[in-house]
Amino acid sequence: MTIDCKGEQLILSSDRAIYWQAKKMLIISDLHIGKSAHFRKSGIPVPDSINLTDLQRLTALVAEFNPETLLVTGDMFHNNINSDTNTFMHWRKSFAHLKVVLIKGNHDNLKNEDYDALGIDVYQKELLAAPFRFIHDKPSEVDEYYNISGHIHPGVIIYGKAKQQLKFPCFYFGSDYAILPAFSVFTGLKVLDSKQGDRFYAITPAKVITIKA
Amino acid sequence: MKLESSYGYKQIINWLKLNKKKPFKFQTDAWQYYAEGYSGLVNAPTGFGKTYSIFLAVVIDELNKRAEQETLAFKSKQKKNTTGLKLIWITPLRSLAKDLARAMREVCDELQLDWIVGVRNGDTPQSEKLRQKKQMPEVLIITPESMHLLLAQKSTFNYFDQLQCIVADEWHELLGSKRGVMAELAISRIKGLLIEQHPERLLRIWGISATIGNMEQAMDVLVPYTDLLKTIIKSDIRKKIVIKSILPDHIDMLPWAGHLGHKLASKLIPIINKSKTTLIFTNTRGQAELWYQTLLAQDENLAGLLAIHHGSIDYELRNWIEDALHSGVLKAVVCTSSLDLGVDFKPVDTVVQIGSPKGVARFLQRAGRSGHSPHETSKIYFLPTHALELVEAAAIKEAAKTQNIESREPIVMSFDTLIQYLVTLAVGDGFDDEKIFFEIKQTHAFRELLPQEWNWIMQFITTGGDSLTAYDEFSKVNKTTDGLWKVENRQIAMRHRLHIGTIVSDAMLKVKYLTGGYVGMIEESFISRMKPGSSFTLAGRVLEFVMVKEMMVLVRKSKLKQAISPSWMGGRMSLTANLGNLLRKKYNETLDKQHDDEELDFILPLFEQQAKVSHVPRSDEFLIELINTKDGYHFFAYPFEGRQVHEIMAALIAYRLGRLQPISFSIAMNDYGFELLSEQPIPLEESNIKELFSPTNLTDDIVASINATEMARRKFRDIACISGLVFQGYPGKYVANKHLQSSSSLFFNVFSDYDKHNLLLRQSYDEAFYQQIEEPRLAAALHRIQASKVIIMKTETYTPLCFPIKVDSLRDNMSSEELSQRIERMTAESEKKITSKKKKNDH
Repeated sequence: MTIDCKGEQLILSSDRAIYWQAKKMLIISDLHIGKSAHFRKSGIPVPDSINLTDLQRLTALVAEFNPETLLVTGDMFHNNINSDTNTFMHWRKSFAHLKVVLIKGNHDNLKNEDYDALGIDVYQKELLAAPFRFIHDKPSEVDEYYNISGHIHPGVIIYGKAKQQLKFPCFYFGSDYAILPAFSVFTGLKVLDSKQGDRFYAITPAKVITIKA
Repeated sequence: MKLESSYGYKQIINWLKLNKKKPFKFQTDAWQYYAEGYSGLVNAPTGFGKTYSIFLAVVIDELNKRAEQETLAFKSKQKKNTTGLKLIWITPLRSLAKDLARAMREVCDELQLDWIVGVRNGDTPQSEKLRQKKQMPEVLIITPESMHLLLAQKSTFNYFDQLQCIVADEWHELLGSKRGVMAELAISRIKGLLIEQHPERLLRIWGISATIGNMEQAMDVLVPYTDLLKTIIKSDIRKKIVIKSILPDHIDMLPWAGHLGHKLASKLIPIINKSKTTLIFTNTRGQAELWYQTLLAQDENLAGLLAIHHGSIDYELRNWIEDALHSGVLKAVVCTSSLDLGVDFKPVDTVVQIGSPKGVARFLQRAGRSGHSPHETSKIYFLPTHALELVEAAAIKEAAKTQNIESREPIVMSFDTLIQYLVTLAVGDGFDDEKIFFEIKQTHAFRELLPQEWNWIMQFITTGGDSLTAYDEFSKVNKTTDGLWKVENRQIAMRHRLHIGTIVSDAMLKVKYLTGGYVGMIEESFISRMKPGSSFTLAGRVLEFVMVKEMMVLVRKSKLKQAISPSWMGGRMSLTANLGNLLRKKYNETLDKQHDDEELDFILPLFEQQAKVSHVPRSDEFLIELINTKDGYHFFAYPFEGRQVHEIMAALIAYRLGRLQPISFSIAMNDYGFELLSEQPIPLEESNIKELFSPTNLTDDIVASINATEMARRKFRDIACISGLVFQGYPGKYVANKHLQSSSSLFFNVFSDYDKHNLLLRQSYDEAFYQQIEEPRLAAALHRIQASKVIIMKTETYTPLCFPIKVDSLRDNMSSEELSQRIERMTAESEKKITSKKKKNDH
């Protein structure tokens, strides 16, 4: 689905990513590489195929849009280096031409040299690319930039008649900021409050659909 | 030597005589069997000294041994009593422990037996635990959880060196739960430890149980060991119980549903006033809070004489209330199941049950709280919270008369509990897998465990999972150089110790006054909906919420008189099959006016009203009501089989209707019937009713109809906690670890997608099928419906029968439409707004 946001055309992919055609930029958030391995190290068994499928989806997206830049709005890595990071290293090598940019999130605790080794450009706080500001968590102050963020892992509930409901991950576009869905499948959902004029795009198994607030 | 002529026996008889008491036959029987080396189960009504039956048996044995030793010592000139743990007394509830310890200490004091009686559970202070570590008391009163915590400590064996007997008190309470499995496992380990060191010693295992439908099985679960002699000792004493319903002046005063019967509160006051002390039982903590407020509002003189007691109230406060109950200071206490079990409060002479107790056993148990001494009569009042509950009262009266009491099904193959137990052992002294496999194969819960299942469980805790799925870098339980499996990571060990147990609740926060002093605990989900300045009630006090700080809810006293009560989550109980049967019979009796129950006379006008707008089903009839409102098309059916059976039956019928045409329903049910609600007309006619409710192809249709995945997902919530996949917050013990936050639902998805062989996943489906679905009961119900006369009524308004379902319902969805179709239709109705549910997760 393609939407208009501040005059820019954005493609919302059902693989939980935004493609900004004009800048040839693929935007995702909350990849949480290493989360499953971190759990395993702490004695909680989470299969590592999770990390693999996440990367496979990323491969498919890169193949589909052929972007120049992959932008991650935070929480790319979960806590520290582990076996899942190695898997990502292999992935990274097979896409050496791709520019990877990370805006740091609360879970991104790798050392600077590690990011260098992985070929990732790191921004501590935000990246400005008019009309957008890319940032991990939405700022409290409003200015001329429209914020595109992650962090929350947004979800939306669709209510039907006779008290029926369904819950999906979603893209959120509000008046001052947008929130990306978490890219990793090993994440929970937070159902968002809605205000007048908010736009929700639910990611259903088949496609992205618009939901009016 | 005969037991009667032994030194110890004579001592006991003398002591009883001094107190003007004589042992009951079941007690002397127990002493005799114990002396002969038996294990087994004692069954006697409350108030007749069940505790003494086994406790005194152990004491007699000790006194005899000492007498024997003294004669020997006289010859060999040395005298030495062995100290250390002799008797482990397992109780399901903490509140029981104090009372038991008091009674036991009294016995020891008066017999001049130098035994120490210790208590160990979640409320035991750290200093006491340390003291026990240095020197174990001779008698230890303990909960199943604390037993496992004991096993999670280093050099456990020394504790059990002198152990003679393990007693499981109130065994019927533990039997049907995973806590019972915990008790089984702990006993198997302690027995194993003792055999390793002292193969010649005999460890007796005794249970004490109220009457249940399956006594034999209850004993086999507790004492599955073939090397032990075992017997059931049943007392022939019958406790006298008087049951009386509290009736309003007029039937119209009783709500049809939902209003908790507060209008009857005024009728409670005279009952409280004329009794010495009254226990008022409610089914939930929320109701207890409401009733406490209501009663105070009714009679201000009760202030200071009325207390409230439930599981979320601070320990100190509960302690104070229990002491006050003993001394008779309190006139009445509003309580929940927290005071269900064998605590002997002498001043209590009256019990009130508010709302349906849902089962015969629970009701009789509660009745037994009054008139606790032998030959006194137990008096219980039943206060209906809605009109139809009066029929339940009549049904329970009959069940009490005929001793028609439910069975408790023991839990088997709960892998989550086993996993937790193994890690517990690994955190403690470590374990030898072959030895432990042999031990658990002897327990009732895991006698069917297959070697390949055992292997999977071992892999789960050592490598993360089976070899089909990769679990790199996994670390939890490792084999150490001494060949034992241990947890070496201290953080993992600490986290595990904090989470031992099988009771899973929502994250709870401690509630504290700004000025200091704890009030109790409250669910995080409730407080997250509160705004600073708004008020709620807890422990009978109206509190103003100030803020949450460091996992602590800070409050101040509110000036308001009334405020909302928190609703604690908690299992809703379902009507048992016994009671369901009786209920249908009582409907007949009411219609035929062939009974001597005043409740049924009283409810007749309501039945007449139901008959006027619709119909009152007789036990050979099956009533269906079709009502059309602005909400949609309602279809009500009344099988009277209990909430749980209705849930499945509703899904089954929804599925079968869906085969006729694509249609979505939302489902609601209560103990009497269920509702299917759809926005489209329901394709239902007289001609196809029997077919819809047919028992043919039942199994296949159940599998196809119920959302097995959703049910399993619900069950998986507890399983994930018990097996250590997710951690619940602990009041005051919060371990900040944001990198390890996750939810059971997430794990359920992950395992479903990536690790289908996961045994915990299988367990969640098994639990859903066997505990939730109860297929045999459902089949029996459908057969009964086939033989019944179907009556379809189309009405304009809600009827007295359907109204409670509308009000008191858990909702569920069922759809035969394709997901995509459903999404499209639902988004088309998008004028329904997107509301919010605050839910914290990992971001």
